[in-house]
Amino acid sequence: MALPTRPAAAWLFAVLLLIGAGLTAFFGLSANGYLVPAAMLAIMAALLWLGRAGGLFKAVAIINLISGAVLVLTLAFGDVLGDRKLDVSGVALLVNLLTGGPLLGLLAPGLLLGLRTGKALNQWFNPAAIAA
Amino acid sequence: MKKVVTTLVGFTVLMQPLLAQAAAFSGKVTLADGQPAYGAMVTVFDAAGESRQTVYTAADGSYAIRTPYAGKLKVRARLAGSPDTLSEQQASATGSARLDLALGKFADQTAMNESLSASAFNARLPWPDVKRDRPAFVSQCNYCHQMGNSWTRIPRDHEQWIAEVDKMEGLLAMPSRAQSATIAQTLWKGFDGKPFAAQQNYGASAELSRGKVREWLVGDGYTFIHDADVAKDGLLYGTDEGHDILWTLDRATGKIERYPLPDIDLPRGGIFSGMKLPIGQFTGKHGPHSMAQTSDGRIWITNALSSTLMSFDPATKQFKTYQVGHDSLYPHTVRVDQDDIVWFTIVASNQMGRFDPRTEEMTVMRLPHNGFIRWTTDMLFPTLMRIGSWFPDQAVHLNLSTHRFFGERILAFPYGIDVNPVDGSIWYAKLYASKIGRIDPRTMEVREWDTPMLGPRRPRFDAKGIFWIPAFDEGGLMRFDPKSETFETFRIPVVGKDEYETPYALNVDKKTGQVWMAANNSDRIIRFDPATRTFFTYPSPTRVTVLRDFSFTEDGQVCSSSSNMPAAAIEDGRPNFVCIEPEGGAADRAALGS
Repeated sequence: MALPTRPAAAWLFAVLLLIGAGLTAFFGLSANGYLVPAAMLAIMAALLWLGRAGGLFKAVAIINLISGAVLVLTLAFGDVLGDRKLDVSGVALLVNLLTGGPLLGLLAPGLLLGLRTGKALNQWFNPAAIAA
Repeated sequence: MKKVVTTLVGFTVLMQPLLAQAAAFSGKVTLADGQPAYGAMVTVFDAAGESRQTVYTAADGSYAIRTPYAGKLKVRARLAGSPDTLSEQQASATGSARLDLALGKFADQTAMNESLSASAFNARLPWPDVKRDRPAFVSQCNYCHQMGNSWTRIPRDHEQWIAEVDKMEGLLAMPSRAQSATIAQTLWKGFDGKPFAAQQNYGASAELSRGKVREWLVGDGYTFIHDADVAKDGLLYGTDEGHDILWTLDRATGKIERYPLPDIDLPRGGIFSGMKLPIGQFTGKHGPHSMAQTSDGRIWITNALSSTLMSFDPATKQFKTYQVGHDSLYPHTVRVDQDDIVWFTIVASNQMGRFDPRTEEMTVMRLPHNGFIRWTTDMLFPTLMRIGSWFPDQAVHLNLSTHRFFGERILAFPYGIDVNPVDGSIWYAKLYASKIGRIDPRTMEVREWDTPMLGPRRPRFDAKGIFWIPAFDEGGLMRFDPKSETFETFRIPVVGKDEYETPYALNVDKKTGQVWMAANNSDRIIRFDPATRTFFTYPSPTRVTVLRDFSFTEDGQVCSSSSNMPAAAIEDGRPNFVCIEPEGGAADRAALGS
């Protein structure tokens, strides 16, 4: 059985995720909290490169995007939350960092667009669906 | 070490009555070679050792001092380059005595080194590149305390210095990791405990011999009276950021009182409970920092740690607390404008607070972010501090702070603030962004200017609307004319080779136009005369003098509080209130016929 060819989008995003992981790890050398998103970016790059665990990959990207949006919106318009404002932004920040940090947030829209049904990344993660 | 030498050459009780004064002394101070000691400090300590007064000798070595003290008193002569001379005198309540004091010679270089200010020690630090590496040290170490005094220059090994620098980061110092490593390495090599040759010259002048200094000890070794302010009732008020206490001093009687701030539902350290705050250093929750008074007599206090504004009514002794903002971090310097509106900077979240005491309306506005990276930091820093508070005393959030790779300049840090007496506009200084800014109080329009020297800290206006700005990071003084929008800069003279100065704050005497400045690296107070462009130096009678704000009394004294952190490192082991009377020495000479 022939292995499916890795699409260009997988190449591109995997390399970008790896560069992001390296950059974040560099910051992590000074502030070691950034080693967590660096590790997650590296894992995401590996998953994308291998075409494995597409569901997890997509879920992490979505959570990252949502937590980043919640963070920005809370900081900008969160005064209505009163004393809870910084609790909400704090949780959003930690979740965002656990799921790859702001650099993944920059790539997540492109990744999620590529993961739609029928798109190259979706097919890359779901070779069985193509074969069927 | 102080060598006690009783050198009573002549003791003549003149029995002349002196109104409102008790022990009075006059005489001469001489050097070891018999020559007159010019600019020497003659200090009389009260019997309990809780207060003291100091005058400076003239070119012929003469001095005269009147004090309110009686009983068994200590009299000390001190001059840079000579060991102290101490004399004990039994003084009557109405007597005046002649007391000549002779300064000796140091036994060895080690003894001489003990008399030097911190500036002599940190001038010798072997920075790999002094222009590149020292600014972070000045900015992030010298703002809390001297580096090089007997407390901080204790030789440590490399690992111990790394631990010390990390501890300071837990107290809100913000060096990058690379800067921390360089600082630790340099302190390890530089503070080696070996004696060295040095000479310091504090620049004696005829002006100096006209001055007089009064000091009153207050609190304990961890009292941290950040600011002192003279209120309309004539009392000197002091905000104790370490213990949540408002202190008052009656200068006439020497009576000191304490008013604990009301409790608040916050942990120790307040909003900053996630930081590593050493026990005793910040035992409070509010962290009272700066003060200003409205026309109704209420004193307004910025509480840095609880992010609140607080009023204190001197008549009823009642406090009232007002929340500032949900994401406001470290309300800092406070001033009151011509309409009795309270304005204050909020340093760690790059904001400005405005409070109307009549309507009790609080407004917090964001100041310009000065770039995308600073914007990111301004927006996220309060959130990081909240995350830190979930893990008290661990400072875990520092592992996510961008200062770790960008250094302190990643923050804007709006710091000092003042009101232009000419047009009522509000002006502030951004310490780390090195900018000054103007807010139109009617339109709230903001405009900023880059300062030509780094580290503008706590500026003030003179009566003509000239903005005077101390440049902490570069040891300078800046003059800004808002009309022409032009700067003029001045270098503060130092007292020894390769030394630098750290002018933390200044204030301008509106009556005389004189600019009074802190010179916290070398135990002195500086006066700048704008008319002649001349600096005058007043050596502090107390070693380890760190002053953070100045306030003027009705009778022309300039007052402050000594607030090295910790106060235990100050020569007395405790902080003090201090007032300089520019003509006090001259008045004593005239009264004693000296």
